[in-house]
Amino acid sequence: MSALPRSGGYPVTGFSAGNAMGANVEAVAIALEEGRTGLGPCPLDLPFDTVCGVFPEPLEAMPRSLAEFDTRLARMTVAILDAMAGEVGRAVRRWGRDRVALVIGTSTGGILETERAYQTHSVSGRLPEGFDLDRQHAFHGILEVLRARTGATGPSYVVSTACSSSGKVLGSARRLIAAGLADAVLAGGVDTLCQTTLRGFESLQALSRRPCRPFSADRDGLNIGEGGAFLLIEREGEGRVFLLGVGESSDAAHMTHPHPEGLGARLAMEAALRQAGIDADAIDHVNAHGTGTVANDVVEASAIAAVVGRSALVTSTKCYTGHLLGAAGATEAVLAALAIERSFVPATLGADPLDPRIDIAVCLKGKRMRVRTALSNSFAFGGNNVSVLLGARS
Amino acid sequence: MSRAFVAGLGLCAPGHRGTATWSAAFPGLEVSEATGELLPPALRRRASSLSRMAAAVAGQAAHQASVDLSRVPLILGSAYGEIAAAVEMMREFGGPTALPSPTRFHNSVHNAAAAYLSIATGNRGFTTALAAGTATPAMAVLEAVALLEAIGGDALLVLLDEPPPGPFESAQPYPSAAAAFCLSYRPGPLTLAVMSEARRGSAPPADLPDGLERHPCAGAFALLAAVTSRRSATVSLGADGVGAWLVDVSPVP
Repeated sequence: MSALPRSGGYPVTGFSAGNAMGANVEAVAIALEEGRTGLGPCPLDLPFDTVCGVFPEPLEAMPRSLAEFDTRLARMTVAILDAMAGEVGRAVRRWGRDRVALVIGTSTGGILETERAYQTHSVSGRLPEGFDLDRQHAFHGILEVLRARTGATGPSYVVSTACSSSGKVLGSARRLIAAGLADAVLAGGVDTLCQTTLRGFESLQALSRRPCRPFSADRDGLNIGEGGAFLLIEREGEGRVFLLGVGESSDAAHMTHPHPEGLGARLAMEAALRQAGIDADAIDHVNAHGTGTVANDVVEASAIAAVVGRSALVTSTKCYTGHLLGAAGATEAVLAALAIERSFVPATLGADPLDPRIDIAVCLKGKRMRVRTALSNSFAFGGNNVSVLLGARS
Repeated sequence: MSRAFVAGLGLCAPGHRGTATWSAAFPGLEVSEATGELLPPALRRRASSLSRMAAAVAGQAAHQASVDLSRVPLILGSAYGEIAAAVEMMREFGGPTALPSPTRFHNSVHNAAAAYLSIATGNRGFTTALAAGTATPAMAVLEAVALLEAIGGDALLVLLDEPPPGPFESAQPYPSAAAAFCLSYRPGPLTLAVMSEARRGSAPPADLPDGLERHPCAGAFALLAAVTSRRSATVSLGADGVGAWLVDVSPVP
């Protein structure tokens, strides 16, 4: 079998992120340190009120060569990706085009355009001119954009497991490199606001009307956001941080509710620690799934307490970005990487007063501290769980 | 490195059970219906037709390979996934509440079929769902062999698609169909064939029945046809924007 690293992990040689806090990782880092949420009014026409995390405008139209792939998803993808074009270009030159893989997570892909096309068809009986299901809706459309933009021709696929999608791509990246199927993997995730997820979560009575308050006694639901993030994982190189482990598990319990004792969450965190070969007390920071729903936060907190203990500082960053769904895993991995790199753990906005049933060290006020290792959790519909473990350069 | 041993097969194509063309294309392999018997009745009632197809082929392949469905890692590949549920949700937006049914919403996620299988079988291990257009079978095989390299044992691969519903019908229609493969890291007494590492290259298309060659996961059915024919073959697993992916398949006596 392949020699997955027991310690040290694979270097993350570059990363990029954009979301409601800012269109690039520097703006995102500043907002986190200032404790400034990106949540605000929702621009979509909806039959209810809620708060969203909207990607900052302007988003540039796609270049002429990719005009047929033009969607909000593709525009955000290119905007976030271009910010790390130098690192990706260097990796493609170093390893060769066919040795660089692209593994991307999304939950809904280009469905925003499909919803508009469906609406047009229901009024006029015709799909809008220029609408192309394969280039705009289907997941393989965004893969074409990524191939064209990066020049990489290695294995390329979308992982779509709802809200764990782009955490799991880091597991795929790790295995592709270990198996010798790639030398570098551009792994990430992107999702846009759309009617499907906004109305869907409203039908589950899971949306809050105000900015979400993860872990708070007064929390009443989640907010949806849009954005994305990419991480470049290489076989070897100068890592900004290191990918130490990726634990993946299933609840085997319910399509939309977490396992009542957080069993799947525990299994994912334990697997990440086991892969890294480190003890739980080495974890300094947890970027929690922390959606702000009544059900998730209590269960996740008990799982964190059971596996990691009560000393690691726990933050949910969804109070800054909203829940990025298929882009949450990669985004929160980047935010965990920033915590390591910048020695700063952001506050969980609105968490005070804490739910008395939550017995973990929720970070209520941003704190400067050395972060050696950080764990990032993402849990999804169908009980699909992933826990990503990142470490500092030694 | 990165080869795998095929030990169980599944095939589901509603309405094609017992037809001569399908029996000829996949000798000795029963074409199952999407009854979803693996799912308990409460789950079966809620599951989409795609999820019921997945349950049918997963059960068939796991039974043949004598693999425990409560433990085997599951990799689901589909180019369009639960697009029927997603489009039905769009229709519901125009209804009285302007909201979808909660069941339809959770059924619309790409990993719904994997989730139903995990819940039905009590599998708390690895499940994933991926997509790569017509390269979906190739990428699912790469994900599977990389997983087998990492943890050994077995992996269950389910590849399936339904035609997109109106108004998004394909100009090139194809039948709803699913294929499953139990892949193992090591050979065993139930091994049917050895599958090489996937590589880039071209191979003649497989002779598949009833428009199955236009199915997004046609490469999976080509692989199924090669294994059931019990002949050595080079199989195209489908192409992405760069070119086709191939594997060599050899029967095990």
